Amino acid sequence: MRETARADRLRTAVSRTRAGVALALRRRDARLVFGVVTAGYLAAYLRAVGHLAPGLGGVGVTVVSDPLGKLLRPELGPFTFTPVARVVVGPVTYLASFNTVIGAGLAGLVGLNLALTYLAWRQPAACGIGESSTGLLASVPALLSGTACCGPVVLIALGIQASGVLLTALQYTLPAAAVLLIGSLVLVGRRVDPAAVRAAGSGQPSRQ
Amino acid sequence: MRCTSRRRLLAAVGGGAAALAGCTGPSDRSGGATGGDVPTADERLPLPMSPAELREAARSGGPPKDGIPSIDDPSFVDPGEADFMLPGDPVFGVVRDGVARAYPRKILSHHEIVNDVLAGDPVAVTYCPLTGTVQGFERGGTTFGVSGRLINNNLVMYDRGTETWWPQMLATAIPGPWNEDPEIETLREFRLVWTSWGRWRDHRPETTILSTDTGSAKNYGRDPYGGYDPRTGYYANDALLFPALGDDDTFDRKRVVMGARTPAGAAAFLKDSLRSERLMTGRIADTPVLAVYDDRLDTAYVYRNPEGASFERDGDEVVGEDGRHVPDDLPLERIHTFDAMWFAWSGYYPETNVYA
Repeated sequence: MRETARADRLRTAVSRTRAGVALALRRRDARLVFGVVTAGYLAAYLRAVGHLAPGLGGVGVTVVSDPLGKLLRPELGPFTFTPVARVVVGPVTYLASFNTVIGAGLAGLVGLNLALTYLAWRQPAACGIGESSTGLLASVPALLSGTACCGPVVLIALGIQASGVLLTALQYTLPAAAVLLIGSLVLVGRRVDPAAVRAAGSGQPSRQ
Repeated sequence: MRCTSRRRLLAAVGGGAAALAGCTGPSDRSGGATGGDVPTADERLPLPMSPAELREAARSGGPPKDGIPSIDDPSFVDPGEADFMLPGDPVFGVVRDGVARAYPRKILSHHEIVNDVLAGDPVAVTYCPLTGTVQGFERGGTTFGVSGRLINNNLVMYDRGTETWWPQMLATAIPGPWNEDPEIETLREFRLVWTSWGRWRDHRPETTILSTDTGSAKNYGRDPYGGYDPRTGYYANDALLFPALGDDDTFDRKRVVMGARTPAGAAAFLKDSLRSERLMTGRIADTPVLAVYDDRLDTAYVYRNPEGASFERDGDEVVGEDGRHVPDDLPLERIHTFDAMWFAWSGYYPETNVYA
């Protein structure tokens, strides 16, 4: 009985989250928040894993042999994959790898978290969305995952010696971030009142 | 230069008598369980502890096996095409049978091993960013890869023929999970010189240099560890990423020494002292040795000097009883010598003699 009630609550939360996400993507201002945050986070993630950085200069594209076969080949640690192409545009070098796909997924989650948080701030009464979101905080571990390799940039910068425990912990930062971001999204989304969402769709007063 | 150069790599491992053996031909034991067809030396270099204990000291550096990809099909370009190099960029230079090559540190930081063919001989050029060591090895019919493990912060290579672990600086086989019972032998080494691109290009204008066309999509403008010109990141502080085997505080951990070792023992000369003194004497076990600084490449060579022959500096040359000599061609037997960070050298060779 208790399990049935729990499943019902989860279904409701997911349903409300979907409604909240749909609302966020319908509104132009929330879409802007989503787009800017997603793009910004993806850039930060790629910078953290070293796949978007200053390079040797010039202009050019290099693709490795059998790129599809190498796309899922691990590189410097768990959840880091070998780059299959190098794009050089002036001072910036971008390395294309499966990490771009992972980064885009994480960035999308961060973007949705922030877009919902934005809506909560703008229209709490109309949408029934709570004002708190842990999305920003939850996004940090994934950035740290970029350091889980032989030459951990952060560890070098901080002068920290890499213990086995620390290296192991860093390996789990990316999946931990993904779980936290999804949890955070549902946490915010479950507060969406479908009726308020529908009302918002037909125009409701906002905080402005 | 071939015979002596085989005993030394730019900044990595040295070889003493074992390296000398590397000059005299392959070991009769090659083909054993350890090396497969990896050429090995006649004598074994010293280890700081038993091979089994060294295995226990190995730890994951983060990347999996071959997560740091060796370069297995290197290509080279002329200096005029090397627009990715600045004169101050460190390179590892070698000359064999008239073939001069330079391997940029900025490329090897991402690969650590180049399986090359030098003047017709299969060789491996290896570099460990965390210990600042560059060493060359004869590789016979196999290739070397990066195991992903570190001992004393130093690269542990493996050969793809027998999957044996080979700690780079020790140049000697130890057991590992992929080959539990290798024959404990020492690789044949050759010398590479750690210098700058500008110095090497001036010294060997006929040289070619490893191209950025490595088969991998890497950003060679970004060094994950830091830089040497000027020193930044890992190379600008005293912090280690992993525990060292020793804690000798004679010098700062990352001060560079030029180390030489033989089966009988080891000696380290502080590189800054070599720059100022230009000629230093010492001992490896009971054997007197002579260390000679070479201004041309900012490096040094260590020679056995069992008779205690007298030499003096005169400008860029060394004057002995039988005439004048350039620093890399004294009429003595050269010992494989390489640059290393002090913590790495003293951790692996705790009984080393030290000269500063």
